[in-house]
Amino acid sequence: MNRLDVFTLFLFNIVVYNIPLLYGTVGEIIIEKSGSLNLGVEGIMAVGAIFGYLVGCYTNSLAVGILTSFICAGLFGIVFAVLTVTMQANQNVTGLTMTTFGVGLFFFIGKGLSGSWPVMTQYASVNDGFKNPILIPLLSKIPVLGKAFFSHNILVYLGILIAVGVWFYMNKTKAGLRLRAIGENPAAADSMGINITLYKYVHIILGSGIMGIGGYYMGLNLGGSFEGSNCWINGYGWIAVALVIFANWSTAKAILGTLVFGFFNTLQIYSGSLAYAFPKALGFLSKVPPQLYQALPFIITAIVLILTSVRKSNKSAQPAALGLNYYREER
Amino acid sequence: MNKAKDPFVRVVKRDKMHPLLMVAFYCIAILAALLVGAVLLISLGVNPLVLYKDMFTIGMIGSRFAYKSIEGLLTVFTPLLITSLALSLAFKMRFWNIGGEGQFIMGALAAATVALRLGGRMPSLPLLLLMFLAAMLCAGVYGGVVALLNVRFRTNETLMTLMLNYVALYLLHFVGETQAPWNFYLSSESVRPVFQKLPKAAFMPTIPIGKFSLNISFLFAVAICVGIYFYIKKTKQGYEISVVGDSVSTARYAGMRVNRIIVRTMFLSAALVGLAGGFYVSGAQALSTSITNNVGWTGVIVAWLSKLNTFAIFGVSLLISIMQYGCQVASTQFPIIDSNFADLLQGVILFFVLAADFFIRFKLVFRKSAKQQKGEEA
Repeated sequence: MNRLDVFTLFLFNIVVYNIPLLYGTVGEIIIEKSGSLNLGVEGIMAVGAIFGYLVGCYTNSLAVGILTSFICAGLFGIVFAVLTVTMQANQNVTGLTMTTFGVGLFFFIGKGLSGSWPVMTQYASVNDGFKNPILIPLLSKIPVLGKAFFSHNILVYLGILIAVGVWFYMNKTKAGLRLRAIGENPAAADSMGINITLYKYVHIILGSGIMGIGGYYMGLNLGGSFEGSNCWINGYGWIAVALVIFANWSTAKAILGTLVFGFFNTLQIYSGSLAYAFPKALGFLSKVPPQLYQALPFIITAIVLILTSVRKSNKSAQPAALGLNYYREER
Repeated sequence: MNKAKDPFVRVVKRDKMHPLLMVAFYCIAILAALLVGAVLLISLGVNPLVLYKDMFTIGMIGSRFAYKSIEGLLTVFTPLLITSLALSLAFKMRFWNIGGEGQFIMGALAAATVALRLGGRMPSLPLLLLMFLAAMLCAGVYGGVVALLNVRFRTNETLMTLMLNYVALYLLHFVGETQAPWNFYLSSESVRPVFQKLPKAAFMPTIPIGKFSLNISFLFAVAICVGIYFYIKKTKQGYEISVVGDSVSTARYAGMRVNRIIVRTMFLSAALVGLAGGFYVSGAQALSTSITNNVGWTGVIVAWLSKLNTFAIFGVSLLISIMQYGCQVASTQFPIIDSNFADLLQGVILFFVLAADFFIRFKLVFRKSAKQQKGEEA
C-alpha cells in the first residue's frame, strides 16, 4: 500500500466506523431538545441492534432490518416516555436502567440463540446491501476525497440525511420551534396551548428509533458476529451523550463532531500504520498510548462543559429545562 | 356554565399513603417483574422456577460448599452496599453524582499504588490504613472537583461526572495494558500485560468462622451503613444536607453556606465510593480492568430503588447482589444464563417499581359524567 492509500483509508474509516455515533447523537439531541436527558442511549442502541440484525437476516432484507431497528428501539423508547413523562419518574435513573436493561437483553437474546445465530455472510441481500458502496456520481471520482467521503454504504448517507433533515426540522419549521420551546420553558409552552405530552412522546420515540438504526449499523459493521462478552455498542452510546454537548445541541454540528471524535477513535487503530507510512511527520503517533485516544472524546467534552459554564456564554444551546420533569399542577 | 371540558383523566398528587399499602405496591411490582422474567426464561426453554430457586438461594441448597457461596456473595455485596450508601449522600442533596464508576476506579488505583510502592517496607496495619486513606483522598478529590466547578460556575454535574467515569476507566486500561520499565502495576514475569499481585501485607484480613472466612471489609460496610444513618439523622451536617436537598433558597435564607455543604458532601460521597474501591482491590488482591463490576451504575439504581433510605439500601443492595451472584451460580447449570440476565431482571424490576412509585405519589382522577356533576350541583 502506498502512502496516499494509507491516508485515504484512514479518512474512509473515520466515516465508516463512526457514523453510528451520528445516529446516537442526533437521536439524543432530539430527545434532549424536548427537555429530557436520556442516559439510555447505549441500551436503546443495543436493543435496536439485535432486533434489527435478527429480523433483517431472517427476512434477508437490509431495508427491513433498518425499519425493525427503528421500530424496536422506538418501542423501547416508549418505556422511557411513559415512566418519565407520564409517571414523573427521575430521568437519570430511568435512563441508566434503560442501559442496564437494554444491554442485558442484548446478551440474553444473543446467548439464547447461540447455536442458531444467523451468520451475516449467508444473507446476501443484507451483506451486499451493507458492504457494497454506493458511488456518488462525479464526486466519487475526486482523488482521495472521493474514496474517503463519497463512496460509502447506504447507512452512511442515510445518517447524514437524517442529521441534515433534523436540523432543518428544528430550525425552520413550526413544530421544531415548538419543540425547542418545550425544552426551554415547558410551562410557557403549555400556556401557548402546545400539547407537551404529545410532543415529548413523539420526539422521545423518534429519537430512540434513530439511535436504534445506529445500533444496527454497529452490528453490521462488526459482521454481525455475536461474542458473549462484548456488546456491539461498546460505549458508543456514551460517546454520543458526550458528542451532544460537543456539538452544542445542533445536529448539523454533530456531523462535524462525529468526524472529530471519529478521528480520535480511528487514530487508536490506525496510529501504527500512519506512523509507518509517514515516519517523519507522524512517527510520534506510535508513541501515544491508544488509551489516550479512547479517553479524548470524554476529556474534550469535559473541557467543553467547563469552558461553556465558565464563560457563561449565551451561545450554549443546552435546553434550560433539560432533565426536569414537567408536572402541570406544580408550575 | 363552564363550557370547557375537563380532560378525561387527570393526574393528582396523593396525600400520604398507608405504609403497608406502599409495601404492597412494591411487592406487586417485584412480583410482576419476576413474572416478566419467567416469560422470557420459558421462551428460552429454561424452567423459571428452577432458575429462580437457584438464583435466590445462590446455589446453597444441597451444596457442601454453602459457605463458599456466602463468601462469594459478600464480595459482590460489600462494594455495592458502600457505593450505594455513598451515592445516596449526594442524591439527598439532589446532586447527581453518577461518577461512581470513576471514583471507584480512582480509589482502587490509589490503594493499589500505595500497596505496590510501600508494600515491602511496612507492617500490614499501617499499610492498609495508608491504602484506604489514599483511596478516599484520591476519589474524594476526583469527585470534589466536580462539586467545586458546579458551585462556582454551575457546570452540569450529571454530565461532568459521567465524562470523568471514562477518563478514569481509560487511565486504568492505560496502566493495565502498557508494558514499560516505569510501570510497576504490571507483573514483570508475564509476557502479556497482567496486573501484578499486591504484596501480602496489603491483603484484607479475614476472620475465620469454622470453614467460612469473613472478610473484614464487610464489617466496615455495615459500620458505614450505621454511621451514615446517624450522620444523616442526628448530626448538624446531615440536617444541612437534607435542607439543601429540599430547597437551596431555604438553606441560604437560614444562613447555611450552601456551596460549602455541597462540596463537602460530594467529597464525602466520592471518598466513600473510593474506599469501596480500596476495599475491593485489597480483597481481590490485584487490580483488573473490569474491577468495578458496574457497581457505580448499579449503585445509582439501588440508591433510588431504596428511596435514599439508609436501611432500605442495605436490603435492596443485598437483593440485587443475590440476583447477580445467583445468576453466576446458576450459569453452571444453565449455560445461557449469566449475570446479564440479572441486569435484565434488575432493569425490569426498576421499571415496575418506578411505575408503582407513580401510583403511590399520584392518583388518577377521571372526569365526572354530566349526570354526576348535575347531582353535585343540586
